[in-house]
Amino acid sequence: MTAFLIRRLGFAVITLFAVLTLVFVLVRIVPGDPAQVILGDQASREAIEALRERLGLNLPLYQQYVVFVWGALGGDWGTSMMTGRPVIQEVLNVLPWTLELTFLSLIIGVIIGVPLGVAAAVRRNRFTDYAARIGSLLGLSFPPFVSALLLLLAFSIGLHWFPVISAKSGSLTAWVESITLPAINLGLITAAYITRVTRSAMLEVLQEDYVRTARAKGVPWSVVVWRHALRNALIPVITIIGLYLGILIGNSVLTEIVFSRPGLGKLIVGALNQRDYTMLQGMMVIYTLVVVLVNLATDIAYGIADPRVKFQ
Amino acid sequence: MKKHMILGLVVAAGFATGFGADQAHAQKKSLVIGMGSADAGKLDPHLASTTPDKGLLNYIFNGLVRVKPGQASPDFIEPDLAESWTTNANGTEWTFKIRSGVQCHHGYGPFSAEDAAYSIKRASNKATSSYSGDFAALEKVEAVDGSTLKITLKNPVAGFLGYVANINGGNMVCKKAAEEMGENFGKKPIGTGPFQFAEYQPQQFVKLTANKQYFRGAPVLEDITYRYIPADSSRDLAFQSGELDMIYGKQDQTWVDRTAKLPGVKVKAMEPGELSALYLNVTSKPLDDIRVRQAIAHAIDRKAIVQFKGAGSSREAVSVVPSGYLGTDEKSPLFPYDVNKAKALLAEAGYPNGVTVKTIHTTLTGMQTFIEAVQAQLKKANINLEIELVEHATFHAQIRKGLSPIVHYQAARFPVADVYLTQFYDSASIIGTPTAITNFTYCNVADTEIRAARVEMDAAKQKALWKTAQEKLVTNVCGIPVYEQLQLWAWKDNLDLGYELNGSLNLSPPVTEKTKFTK
Repeated sequence: MTAFLIRRLGFAVITLFAVLTLVFVLVRIVPGDPAQVILGDQASREAIEALRERLGLNLPLYQQYVVFVWGALGGDWGTSMMTGRPVIQEVLNVLPWTLELTFLSLIIGVIIGVPLGVAAAVRRNRFTDYAARIGSLLGLSFPPFVSALLLLLAFSIGLHWFPVISAKSGSLTAWVESITLPAINLGLITAAYITRVTRSAMLEVLQEDYVRTARAKGVPWSVVVWRHALRNALIPVITIIGLYLGILIGNSVLTEIVFSRPGLGKLIVGALNQRDYTMLQGMMVIYTLVVVLVNLATDIAYGIADPRVKFQ
Repeated sequence: MKKHMILGLVVAAGFATGFGADQAHAQKKSLVIGMGSADAGKLDPHLASTTPDKGLLNYIFNGLVRVKPGQASPDFIEPDLAESWTTNANGTEWTFKIRSGVQCHHGYGPFSAEDAAYSIKRASNKATSSYSGDFAALEKVEAVDGSTLKITLKNPVAGFLGYVANINGGNMVCKKAAEEMGENFGKKPIGTGPFQFAEYQPQQFVKLTANKQYFRGAPVLEDITYRYIPADSSRDLAFQSGELDMIYGKQDQTWVDRTAKLPGVKVKAMEPGELSALYLNVTSKPLDDIRVRQAIAHAIDRKAIVQFKGAGSSREAVSVVPSGYLGTDEKSPLFPYDVNKAKALLAEAGYPNGVTVKTIHTTLTGMQTFIEAVQAQLKKANINLEIELVEHATFHAQIRKGLSPIVHYQAARFPVADVYLTQFYDSASIIGTPTAITNFTYCNVADTEIRAARVEMDAAKQKALWKTAQEKLVTNVCGIPVYEQLQLWAWKDNLDLGYELNGSLNLSPPVTEKTKFTK
């Protein structure tokens, strides 16, 4: 287990380094000049050149790269070119918002998606199955910003249950008020994914010999489904949850924007629009880190769900 | 475990239903403004270059002079931190008498001529200001004594007072605070205005509290929350639900029509108009032939564009300088809409079967719908406008590299003709040169007049020079002005701004010490 973890972490470091280099190059290939964005459209070329010098953008690319990597190794991610605030601080400011939204919507997705997927598989080609399949298809094809607006129209404007600006904090009620609609919005989409994967995994498992054997020896149907079959169908579900957790953090941007919540997605989009190189670099490192960690957690979860999986 | 979670959510949802609805009854001393950007940028008045940042900073800072709240023209310049001022005959020496008893925010002490001198030096320094170019003519600025400020210029500057008014580099910072905080000044901006900086929550809001010592009297409002809500529809919904008292509108007519129908709401299309114009690179083929440029000008129907954009929020352009500026030629000889004339000119230039021209254009919605309408109009005259759409920052980078023979630009500037003419048409501002700003046309036909007007002290002569410059630029078709987009805002009708709102130089309505809720 320890050797496994060390090896995986070693890979993670290499991945991080590759991503760092890639991001460093990519953001500079895209046309657009941070100095221009910072100074605005009335700035003279002299002022822009002066700022480029201050930001170190006039240095040859390899020198910028050395400066960047050296700083990154020492834990210094630099300061945002736009706001002048440290990148780490900017990220930490909004990270909790994104994490709570991501995890809550994942929980909602699992709570709805797994039972629905199981039910659909068990009642294959009957009403429940069709309803679950159509429902999940809708969930997958509905753009999150449309569903977000519909939720706001119904529950904030129509019923006045929740605020439109879903970014309150301070008390438990304020938190609940702010998180409910965004979490439901993302949760339903997640549920749609999980339903579909659970259904197909269950269908496969239900064909297995051991399921027939279990039934034949008189195990109650519900025990067969929930203990024998679901347990074995979990691996692809865990995989999709793991993959989706990575995507969710990026996907949440539309939800964040419509519900006026702070978040990582908004930060990335803003940094990209403004060509905030330092910010983008820092964000990508953190994002990669999250994905690597989630993958690691997924691998460990495999072992828990299925003891036959060995940490080799 | 799962059951507990479900139970928790149900209970939580139940909690939530009890709240939220009764927020509207809070004591109305707090103003909440919804702005259309994702986050605060630089809150240093000498560095801020975006409308959202400028709008907020206007509540915190004063200038030596100010444009009367609600107005957007230098005709309304009145004393601010300077009580009075005098100038010598040729306008190169200005002496300001600084008001006494003005206090800087958060206990940074009284504001003196010393602070004013420091502030102007700071605004004219490339390292600390985006507006250093505005002070290119500055020779010396000094505090003669605690209440007297003297500014010496190398040469006269048209509309000089505009540069020491309460916008951009004219915002007065407090020396002690700015020196103490250095580069961090933008994290806690210290000024002398009616509201002072209190709190910043990333991607959420900036909170300002009343400056009880404000020299025009303590503000009626206790605080302002300036919320960052980038999605137009979310801003509208939050306004509708009562969470916002004033919002920056989606900049199109359908928004005006829809919002005006809401009960208890005021909608305003205010000055200044941002001029939307096409800038033609007169050195590129086929635009180097004036007949092709004339054909394009004849093929654009300004009236139809205004109908398309909405008569309540836009109007036809009058000249290469936006209407209402000091020196605008309100009756410049713009080309009338005439498709046959356009075709004839093209044939004469050797393009009887039409011509293809290219533009690199931003995907910014309001601007994109315009260029598509123009494309359709030009097609009628056999002019094929190829539009290459790119994202906004890319657009700004590429047009400055001269990659787009036709540039569509939409902008408002300080309302003195010199600013617009200098930035867009003086050959010194041609892109790619060391002194480049935004001359995309490579035109130099009006250099003589633009430069002479800049230092002309006789107002009538100056105006005549500006008129000639505009005529030359229009007839040479360096730029084709099309329409002007007004600034759209809405607020609850129980909010009394305390002045009549016609416009605002920074594109956001001022909130003053007199702004209050009536119920």
